[in-house]
Amino acid sequence: MKKNAQFLIENLGGKEIPGSHSLTVRYKTLVNFAKVFGITDPKYVGSEEEGIVACRAFANHYLIKSLYTLLLGMKLEQDGKERDFILNLGKLLHASQKYNWDGCVDIKPGDRLTAKGKWGKVWLVESNMIFFAQLIVDVKNQNDEMVCKATVSAAVRPGGY
Amino acid sequence: MVKVADLKVGQVIKDEFDQIDRKLLKSYAKWSGDTNPIHTNDIVAEKAGLKGIIAHGLFSYGFLTKLFEDFLEHGKYGKLIETDVTMRGMVRCGDLLVTEGKITKIEGKRVYLDVTQTTFTYVDIKDKDGNIVKQFEAGERGYISDKDIERGLVKTKEVDEGTLTYRERIATPGTAIIELND
Repeated sequence: MKKNAQFLIENLGGKEIPGSHSLTVRYKTLVNFAKVFGITDPKYVGSEEEGIVACRAFANHYLIKSLYTLLLGMKLEQDGKERDFILNLGKLLHASQKYNWDGCVDIKPGDRLTAKGKWGKVWLVESNMIFFAQLIVDVKNQNDEMVCKATVSAAVRPGGY
Repeated sequence: MVKVADLKVGQVIKDEFDQIDRKLLKSYAKWSGDTNPIHTNDIVAEKAGLKGIIAHGLFSYGFLTKLFEDFLEHGKYGKLIETDVTMRGMVRCGDLLVTEGKITKIEGKRVYLDVTQTTFTYVDIKDKDGNIVKQFEAGERGYISDKDIERGLVKTKEVDEGTLTYRERIATPGTAIIELND
């Protein structure tokens, strides 16, 4: 277990996550997502003709999809054998997250968002053998404008890395 | 109207939400795309040792961004610039979720806050003889642990029907930055 953690620490920290994830933002998804939180302001749940933007919490929608795609699709070679980053998805926990929208533009229906990521700090807490990995993800729209900068920390329990 | 000049260090912005149920979590799972069944299926959650479904960490987080969007009247007086939070405690169906932001610093048009999301998990209500007159999901499913008791998180208070036992726990501590227009 410790050997696997050491391998990940040596091979992930600061490196780019290969590939990217893109999705198109649908009007219906924006509105229904906002309604989960009881949001009634027409800026977020108004008609398609009037034009709406995404509420801030919508970052959860595109980031969770991007993270699953980027992380689950990532392959590493350890001791000559190919392995996934996560060996058991059931051991994966969400530890923390930072969203920054400074200088970012709003998201509108029809936008095509693309997420690209790199690994930040990677470490093991030996007292409980929980492995932590920080992912830094930039999300841009079809005009190459930033819509959100996110730093997400994933915690992986023993047996998952 | 919200203006920088009207805000003070120590001021608290607060919201409470007590409508977390299975239907809402299913709706969140559908529209967020986070379909991990530990958030929607009690049998799967029980098999994972969770005693019942838990809310998505990002679900409760949504009430944090909503707190600031409501405070700033959806862009009329400013915008939310950053949130940085740690997921520390599970949020359950039936919990009262209290979201608070406390101003720690004001620099120009930027306002810095400490944020917390606290859950109040109701266990049961007992009459004066100690008989349970009402049991909540946390009592039925055993969500409260010995560790919660050891940490002093389990408390009681008098309500109309008797003595309410509940757990008060910080689920999400962190910080936020908002930027005002004026």
